This record gives sequence, structure tokens and C-alpha cells, in this order.
Amino acid sequence: MYKAVIIGGSAGSFQVITRILSSLPANFPLPVLLSLHRLKHVRSGFVEALSIKSAIPVIEPYDKDQIKPGKAYLAPANYHMFIELGNKFALSTEPPVNHSRPSIDLSFVTAAQVYREKLIGIILSGANKDGAYGLKKVCDNGGITIVQDPIECQVKTMTESALKITKVDHIMKTDQIIRFLQNIKQ
Amino acid sequence: MNRYEIGIVETRNVIKTLLDTYGYDFRDFALTSFKRRLEDVIMKNGLRDSEGLINRLQSNKDFFEHFLKDITPETTEMFRDPSLWRSLREDIIPAIVKSSSKLKIWVAAFDSGEEIYSLCILLKEMDLLDKFQITASTISDEVTKKIKSGRLDIKQLEVNEANYDRSNGTKRYADYHTIASNNSAIIIDSSLVSDVTFVKQDTLFSNAPSGMRLVLFRNQLIYFNQILQDKALNAIHNSLAPGGYLALGAKETLENTNSNNKFTVVNDAEKIYRKKVG
Repeated sequence: MYKAVIIGGSAGSFQVITRILSSLPANFPLPVLLSLHRLKHVRSGFVEALSIKSAIPVIEPYDKDQIKPGKAYLAPANYHMFIELGNKFALSTEPPVNHSRPSIDLSFVTAAQVYREKLIGIILSGANKDGAYGLKKVCDNGGITIVQDPIECQVKTMTESALKITKVDHIMKTDQIIRFLQNIKQ
Repeated sequence: MNRYEIGIVETRNVIKTLLDTYGYDFRDFALTSFKRRLEDVIMKNGLRDSEGLINRLQSNKDFFEHFLKDITPETTEMFRDPSLWRSLREDIIPAIVKSSSKLKIWVAAFDSGEEIYSLCILLKEMDLLDKFQITASTISDEVTKKIKSGRLDIKQLEVNEANYDRSNGTKRYADYHTIASNNSAIIIDSSLVSDVTFVKQDTLFSNAPSGMRLVLFRNQLIYFNQILQDKALNAIHNSLAPGGYLALGAKETLENTNSNNKFTVVNDAEKIYRKKVG
């Protein structure tokens, strides 16, 4: 019934993402789209770091790559990562949004337009408001919205900004997010 | 709070207007980013919606020129991907100089200037600027005028400076620019591009130059769908001399296009390709 999971995070989200990726079944039925703030001039290293413990392959997509289930896709450094009609990625070098490129908002908004009610959007720990508007769009399009419990976040700004403008479906600790994802059956 | 959002049907109506009124073909631009830039143009100009944009486009040719400037994707950084510029400096340009007497480069990107200035600085530092013939594509005269003015966004100064240093520039980035008196802009030394030939290009590359030894076309394919990607790469392939080089953006690849078997990979990390001979 779902088509994709999209996760946004910034400061304090790396360990959470690592735990999530290491806990997914190897045959996880959905693509996992990762829009994470990162150093713009460092192109390599991040995908390798996430891959070490991940149960599914972690890939930095090229422009117009097909989106496939059972893989995690990390937004490349210094590009916005859009989800394009036809279940493909489209990258962009348009100016930063919320001082960020990749911008979580842009990935979420475009994913929400393509996957609509079949999208699960998750916002994790982070230090600015990027992602809040995107998660609202996931909600507006009928998707499932989850925010990491701010109590557990190293930096609360991102989750609190998201909670401020959207009545989300779930506020969850990392363990609960993991269980939620493990229980997804196609 | 909510941003104006243009629908797919409305987007197609705008595209039809551009084609019918001005003969500019945006039908095969990547939809998501094109929609987004239309939304930006509509908001920036205080137009209510796509109808407002269409009316303005139809009634005002000057507005159309502004529109072309605003709809053109930006590179927004000098020496973006410093490792690419190091590769040009250390490997590609020396190889071109060694193998050919016709030193022609085409900056095929619809660029806001950064790519062109970066190239000219690089060649100047190699003492080759006056030996190369550089052609640069631009989508509108307004963009050409802006590039020749040398004005760059001052907010990008730190990034540009850091990129320049990482590219192994042999001087200081500050040697190439002044800061406008009211701190409103960086003014790059525009004499760097005084010998560059600017060519107004349509979106189908119908008047591409020929005999190129190097084509810079970075982060442009990302704004096209696969139909237009194939057309653009065809035009670029035709414009390259056999053995000529093509540089794409770091996350663009020929593998998703029809041109993959017409090039060999020279540097996979920097996406530098070479046109096959024969």
C-alpha cells in the first residue's frame, strides 16, 4: 500500500539513521529516501559511513536514476534531490533553501506530489526548520507523518518546527520508528 | 505559509504559450524543477497564478527576456567541484594543448557566468587564455549582459574563495575581483571574458559550434528530461572533434542516455568523457 519512505535529518540524526538502516530487513519492500544536511564540498565518505551497518544498499543517485524498493538513496552533496514523475530522481543546483542544499523541504514536497497518500515522511533531529514545510505537504497529500520525539533529539529545532505546523500521525522514539518500519508489509 | 503551487496542466499551458508566442521550446525540460522555477517567477513578479504569467508573457516582450533569465538554472558557485578544476588544470588542458593546434572550448551550459569566469581564470593562470577560442552559450541577451558586467552575488564570496583555493589556484581569489562600494556585489574582472564569444542559443542547440576540443556542460542535463538530454548530447557530440573532451556535473551520467556508447570515460569521479575516434 505504501510506495516510499522519506527521512529528513540534520544535526544529531546520523546515529538515528544508522540504527534505522541497520534494523531494516534486507528485503524491505520500499525505497528509503534520505535527505540529510551535509557538508557541501565533501562529496565522498557519507554514503560509505552509512553503508557500514545498513542492511540494505545505500546509494547516492545520479540524475534520472530509477527509484527501486529495498534500497536507501542519499541526497548527493551540493544538489537538491527531487522525486520526478515516472519514479525517477531529478537533481538540481538551484539556490539553497533554508540555507541548505540538499533541502529537506524540496525532497519532501516533490515526493509528496508523486507518492501522495502512499508516502511515509519522517523528520529526525536537526538544527533548523528545513523539513517542516515538506512534512506538512506530506500530510496535505494524505501521507503518513512521523516526527522523532524531541525528548530524544540531540537538537530539537527541526522536530519542534515540524510539530508546530503539522498535526502529525506519530511522535515516536527511534525504537518505535524502527518497529513501525519493520512492520510494513506489501 | 503555503507556497503557490502550479499544477501540471497549468505548467503545460505556460509551455505552450512560450512555444506559440516566442518559439522557445521548454516541453522537454524536467518537470519538477521547471514547475518550481515557474512558481518562483510568478511569486517574484507578484503575478497571482499561471494565468497572470501567461497574460504577462503574451503582452510584454521585455518581460519575456526577464523570464528567460529567471528560468535559467544557475550554477551559483565559482570553481564548483574543485577536484574537476584540478583535473582540467593538471590533465585535460595540458593534453589538449599537446595534441592539437586548434584550441577551442565551448561552455555549452546556460550559465550565469561562474563557469565561464572559472575557466578563464584557470587558463590565465596557465598562460593560455589568449591561445584558446572560447564560445559560451547564453539563453538571452540579458544574461550575456549580466555576465559581462562581472557582478556576482556577494553571499557566495566565502564559498567561491574556498573553492578557488581547493582548485589549486596559483594566486589569491581576491586578485580577480573588487567589492562594490556599498557591499552589494562582487565585481569580477570582466576583462577576463573580453575575448569570449557569446552565442545566443535556443534550448535545442540548433547552432552549435564545431571542432571543439572541450565542452563544459555541467549540471544542465539535470534540468532536461531524457528526450532533451539525448538531443543536447547529440548536438554536443557533433560539435566535438574526435578525441575531444566533455565534462558533465558530478552526479550526471551518460549511462542514463543514448550517448553512452559514443564516449569513453576519462575520469569517472569528475564525469569527464572523451568522444570516441571514428
